[in-house]
Amino acid sequence: MTASSERNRHALTLVGLAIALAAAIIAGVAFGAVSLPPGEVLGAVSRALSGHGSTLADALVVDLRLPRVLLAALVGASLALAGVLYQALFKNPLADPYILGVSSGAGLGATLSLSLLGTSYLARAVGVPLGAFAGALLTMLLVVRLASRRGRLDPTSLLLAGIAISYTLSAITSFVLVFDRESMTSVVYWMMGGLGNRSWEHVATLGAMLAAGSMVPLLFHRELDLMLLGDERAGQLGVAVERFKLLALGSASLVVAGAVSVSGLIGFVGLMTPHMVRLVVGPRHRLLLPASALAGAIVLVVADLLARIVLAPVEIPVGIVTALAGGPFFVWLLVRKERSR
Amino acid sequence: MNGRLIPPGDGVPLCFRRVSVGYGDRTVVREASFDVRPGEFVGLVGPNGAGKSTLLRAVTGGAEVKMGDITAGDSVVRLHERERARLIGVVPQSQPSVFAFTARAFVEMGRHAHLGRLESLRPEDHAVVGEVMERTDTARLADERVDELSGGDLQRLTLAQALAQQPRVLLLDEPTSHLDLNHALQVLDLVRSLADGGMAVLGVFHDLGIAARYADRISIVAEGGVLPPRAPAEALDAATISQVFGVRAVVRTDPVTGTVAITPVLRGEDIARAESGMRVGLVCGSGTGASLMRQLVLAGHSVACGALNRGDVDQAVAEALGARLVELPPFGEMDETAVAEVAESFSEVCCIVVCPTPFGRANLPNLHAAVTSGRPLILMGDMGPDRDFAGGEARRLWNEAVSHGAVQARSEADALVELERCRAEKG
Repeated sequence: MTASSERNRHALTLVGLAIALAAAIIAGVAFGAVSLPPGEVLGAVSRALSGHGSTLADALVVDLRLPRVLLAALVGASLALAGVLYQALFKNPLADPYILGVSSGAGLGATLSLSLLGTSYLARAVGVPLGAFAGALLTMLLVVRLASRRGRLDPTSLLLAGIAISYTLSAITSFVLVFDRESMTSVVYWMMGGLGNRSWEHVATLGAMLAAGSMVPLLFHRELDLMLLGDERAGQLGVAVERFKLLALGSASLVVAGAVSVSGLIGFVGLMTPHMVRLVVGPRHRLLLPASALAGAIVLVVADLLARIVLAPVEIPVGIVTALAGGPFFVWLLVRKERSR
Repeated sequence: MNGRLIPPGDGVPLCFRRVSVGYGDRTVVREASFDVRPGEFVGLVGPNGAGKSTLLRAVTGGAEVKMGDITAGDSVVRLHERERARLIGVVPQSQPSVFAFTARAFVEMGRHAHLGRLESLRPEDHAVVGEVMERTDTARLADERVDELSGGDLQRLTLAQALAQQPRVLLLDEPTSHLDLNHALQVLDLVRSLADGGMAVLGVFHDLGIAARYADRISIVAEGGVLPPRAPAEALDAATISQVFGVRAVVRTDPVTGTVAITPVLRGEDIARAESGMRVGLVCGSGTGASLMRQLVLAGHSVACGALNRGDVDQAVAEALGARLVELPPFGEMDETAVAEVAESFSEVCCIVVCPTPFGRANLPNLHAAVTSGRPLILMGDMGPDRDFAGGEARRLWNEAVSHGAVQARSEADALVELERCRAEKG
């Protein structure tokens, strides 16, 4: 296979995914408790962009549905990106922000920020993401520390430590909420993973965090490939392993914190998406990273659409939809891995 | 033609200066001091767990340098990873392949340290990758997935990956452990030619013969220390092998390759019981007694094998096994002293086996000593004209022995049965 034909194939894959994402977003905006024809969706967006016209339907599209759907896309992309990073850094196909406990850590950080700083605009816009980031990073370091024996990271211990820490931190979060009954209902609903009542403000926050968190992985995609050969081999081939791990784990924590602070705990997107994408595009991160981000966005936009319309007008938290699909997927991976030993 | 495999410019020596290496609070090798010069291939041999791999891993940070310094131009611990990867290539013992890279992508990873942050592979990188895959016989695997390849293919791809780094120093940890004979020789010939082209090569080997054949110098790693590298014939003598590996071996010059060839005969631990058995005399030569001698020593007996010429296979085996013998110079004949010594050694045995060796003027005195010793004889094979080159004298001695009640044995197994019967009758 020549280099240029490979490049063409890569470009084609990404363009295909981008078109699919655009279609998913339009569908996500069009369908709901009140359905609109797709043409109407595009019309409303173009009228809002050119600054005139504001029918009731336009307001529904621009102020309610569009930010929500875009947020779903950004959250899905963030979680998938983090999943790719964790799977490469830990050489563990079962790694994902939810299973490693990082999501719970971010959740606790965000909850503590909310309880301590109140619900002012500044607290929500800066305090919650920062708290979530600190929680995510500290949890990650703690889990890695717990799973390491004499500098070696045991893959099974990593998952066990992650799951154990995840439960512990969720319990602490609930404990905090007992003392803070005012925000309990909304936080509990948020912790289940929901995208309701979100605004453009959330889209901007997460967009910024995702952009910042994507820098390292996209610039260091070759290092991620090399990490799959093991830490020592990556070092022999020229990777500054420890420094790179810290950078990459920091980036992963940043995007997870962003996703959790706007949408709560949404599991398994970071686990499933990279696997499905890897089957199609192979393991090289240069393509795997952007393709997984796009695919993650599609997955969550579709999951959110299902969450809204299956029991309409009642809305299911989207985390329940992803867990329903992801739990069995996780078990399937686990069984397959055991059999291949 | 080493075209792109060896970068232009001067070679770099790899120097160990009183280096102690280990993991955590454990020191595995102490005070290692030796150099690998550009253009030289140094082999590291030694028992399992002696620290050969640890010594290699310390060069690229996989084990800790606790004292002293390893330098490749500059101190290796001070080198930035990228710089180090352009200077030193490593072929580790085994490589797990978790994800499904193609073989070509796998080899291309070796170019990482040569590429800028935003750069993708340039034409010259593709050229290097193409050449290393050609030279390691992996070009036809280019589009296969590495997680579906055999251990041997993966090992050659790992070598290709290391060579794609265009290193000046190459470290090998048992690079042929998974390879068939043909590929093993191919890989070693390639490595040899790289060393001849100016690379400094340091390789860990389990197979002493391979190490002796390909390395310029050999260093032995044992009991936490490293012996200074010496030419294979000096480094690997029978005494050293016995001491370091606890194995009695025949060490000789291979007639085909002209290098040191080592045939392990038996383990030192098995010899420890030797005192308990009986003494057996052996009339042998040209390898006719080697196998029986080994079995006798393994079974706990001690052996006396008459006079043998230096360079004879049976002589080498007797020496390795510690059997009693009277050594003659090559092609030398037995003088009176030798005859007397053989007669004395045969007088102390409880039985003598005459192996199916041909007899001529030179070794006839051995047979004579056996027949006149008065000990019970076990005669192997027949004494035909294809065996008697002493003008009928050997046949005469043979017939005399038979008439005095010597038993005849068709095979080694028969001979061993007769020996046991002989012991029982004496017992």
